[in-house]
Amino acid sequence: MLQPRQTEKPAIGIVFDSAFSRVDDALALALLYGLDGKKEERFVSVSVSRANLKAAIYSDIVGRFYAGAVSGAIGFGGRTLPVGLADSSSLKDDEAFFAKPLSKTLLDGKPAYPSDIKSDIDTAEVAAVIRNALTAQWDGNTIIIVSGPASNLVSVLDTGGAKDWIQRKVKLLVFTGGRFPEGAPDANIKADIESARKLFAEWPTPIVACGAEMDGVISYPATSIEKDYAWSPAHPVVDAYLAGGTMPYDAPVWAMNSSLYAVRPQEGYFKVSDPGTIAVLEDGRTKFTPSSNGKHRYLIYDPAQKERIVKAYTEIASAKPVERPQRIPQKAQAQQKAAQAKPQGEEEPKKP
Amino acid sequence: MTITNKALARRTFLRGVGTAIGLPFLDAMVPALSYGKTVETPVRMAFVYVPIGAIMDHWNPSYTGNLAELPRILKPMEPFKKDMLLLGNLTHNGGRALLDGGGDHARATGGYLSGVQPKKIAEDSSYGDRNGHSVAAIKAGITADQIVANEIGGKTRFASLEVGMEDAQQAGNCDSGYSCSYTNNLAWKSESQPLPPTLDPRALFERLFGDDGDLSPQARERRNLYRRSILDYVTEDSKKLETRLGPSDRSKLDQYMTSVREVEIRIQQNEKDNRQIDPGMEKPGGTPGDFAEHFKLQSDMITIAFQADLTRTVTFLVGREGSNRPYREIGVPEGHHNLTHHRNNPEMIEKVAQINCYHMRTFAAWMEKMKAHQEGDRTLLDNSMIVYGSGIADGNRHTHEDLPTMVLGSGGGFLKSGRRLVYRRETPICNLYLTMMEGMGVHKEHFGDATGHLQGLTA
Repeated sequence: MLQPRQTEKPAIGIVFDSAFSRVDDALALALLYGLDGKKEERFVSVSVSRANLKAAIYSDIVGRFYAGAVSGAIGFGGRTLPVGLADSSSLKDDEAFFAKPLSKTLLDGKPAYPSDIKSDIDTAEVAAVIRNALTAQWDGNTIIIVSGPASNLVSVLDTGGAKDWIQRKVKLLVFTGGRFPEGAPDANIKADIESARKLFAEWPTPIVACGAEMDGVISYPATSIEKDYAWSPAHPVVDAYLAGGTMPYDAPVWAMNSSLYAVRPQEGYFKVSDPGTIAVLEDGRTKFTPSSNGKHRYLIYDPAQKERIVKAYTEIASAKPVERPQRIPQKAQAQQKAAQAKPQGEEEPKKP
Repeated sequence: MTITNKALARRTFLRGVGTAIGLPFLDAMVPALSYGKTVETPVRMAFVYVPIGAIMDHWNPSYTGNLAELPRILKPMEPFKKDMLLLGNLTHNGGRALLDGGGDHARATGGYLSGVQPKKIAEDSSYGDRNGHSVAAIKAGITADQIVANEIGGKTRFASLEVGMEDAQQAGNCDSGYSCSYTNNLAWKSESQPLPPTLDPRALFERLFGDDGDLSPQARERRNLYRRSILDYVTEDSKKLETRLGPSDRSKLDQYMTSVREVEIRIQQNEKDNRQIDPGMEKPGGTPGDFAEHFKLQSDMITIAFQADLTRTVTFLVGREGSNRPYREIGVPEGHHNLTHHRNNPEMIEKVAQINCYHMRTFAAWMEKMKAHQEGDRTLLDNSMIVYGSGIADGNRHTHEDLPTMVLGSGGGFLKSGRRLVYRRETPICNLYLTMMEGMGVHKEHFGDATGHLQGLTA
């Protein structure tokens, strides 16, 4: 029997590629899953540009925490999204915010946040997982958000035929990095200057950069962590926040800025530069040259929007996932419920 | 080794009326002056496709590294552990819906060897591609075997051989708006030109041993009337050849001719049986109703084709994707496809596992023959790379990741066999083909949806 094609374009697909260098990457995950829950976008791919298995596991447990309430498992046989993991990277080390939640246990000794990722082979090949996610999207209906070095996206770019897929499927790339209109290299560019140069020179779609000047202008309030997530006795993003610094502290939101702009560009949270071309110089410095037919722009902080932005971050990231019709196996649902159940062990989050 | 003044040409044929029989590799084909040197034997490549995946719990072992105890479905392969690579986590992304709706079976086969998602054929405006474009003509992609055939096919009588067992239908809708061309063909010469497999053993036999492809209808009729063997037509050539051969080659030739004759006799016997018994299904007159016998005939002819270097590239579609063939001979009267949608019913799962095991036993019997043929220091199996697999993993859920995939033979030492290798999730199965092409001497930077070569595969 013929099955009709999908006639209505779904919400835009989001590909999130991150080095998981700071807690704002975890907060960005929460924001994106929250926006997915609101059906403003569909989370279709997640990948890690740090060659660190724990970062991939952390990404997986956050996905599982939200599983059943987001678009995730479609096309992957009912399993949660495969997590792409870089083969190699200048970034390798553990960061406390993603490593510590993994060892959290319940009273019976079982992990509070179970994951199927036990070794590298449980993660996905980066170029394939991103490209395959793109192939499943409507034309021009994907936005890629990068919060880390450009290396993973360049590995996609280097795959045969991938440029065509990118051109057809990707509406916009939002890159967290650089300094604009020009300036010294930031950590994300420095981690792989060669890839950054290639990405800005060869990526075939428009790019909006969220430069380092956007980092630190807004913070995520510790008070939100203390109050807004009380609906869940154990939350992997709260645990990451607690592990990422000494409470109470306000966390950076650089990756959240990129993510919020990517999904809600029309909301005017940030100003956007005129078009031009971004070049990454040999020493990693970035330089923006205005040009009417340029494909690149960069975000500009608007202090008048600060309150609105913080409100959006705290409300969306802390939102309780909305149950959707079951799209994942019962086993995964049981694991999700277990993760949300009150832990009985000593590792219960400490309220500062 | 027999020393002769002049070596016998590798592409020597015994000829008779309407007959041309290629020869296996003989010592006499080695130039005299090359004594003591390594003589290169050709590497062959085959893709054996079984429909609707497997019960993966009985396929995947829990370990990686050197092959140890094999799971239930793979048990018949125990004698070949040192000859095989068992590969995990390979993906056929083109088999997935990718917003094109149903049709997993057609996509599984239609793009299995190209990494391409085939296009639906329905012209009705309600049924277009994922972006609403109406599509009419068939469109898939050139397959790995044909890439190789294009490069090295000129060295053999047939650039490639396409062999099948079940369904030759090429037109019409076989799966949710996908053409039967996708479910019933494994090899594609171009994105719009499938190469239909030969299902009838008689037709395959005559293709292999007929002169210039086929006997004339009159010659075939006369031969059938007198029940003569093709070997009768080449007696004179055969006698002449024997005078140039040493005892070892004569014995080898005798064994080879006997195997050709045995296949011919079995085909004749099947034709006789089929005239007496209505098979109850539409198929060529010479096609055996029994799965194992049909498999054996087709695979024996592939073996002979490889032995005689008639071709180096074969695709073998064991069943059409989505096949609902019953297997009464092993006590499974229900249709295969119906059973695979088992909804976790243990009895249905068990029957699918029995079918999987049955397929594997027949395949193992073929591998035994491949391994029995010696070619210099190696066996025919050593000098081959035979992929056994499917474009679907779990037939119940129609998944296209972690496909059941194994490779028999080392491609003349190119592959490091005897291991279970599990790759990262989403690794394209085209990465395997790209690596195998290298083993065939065909160097390509990109192929299908490959992201590179499979790491750690080669010796």
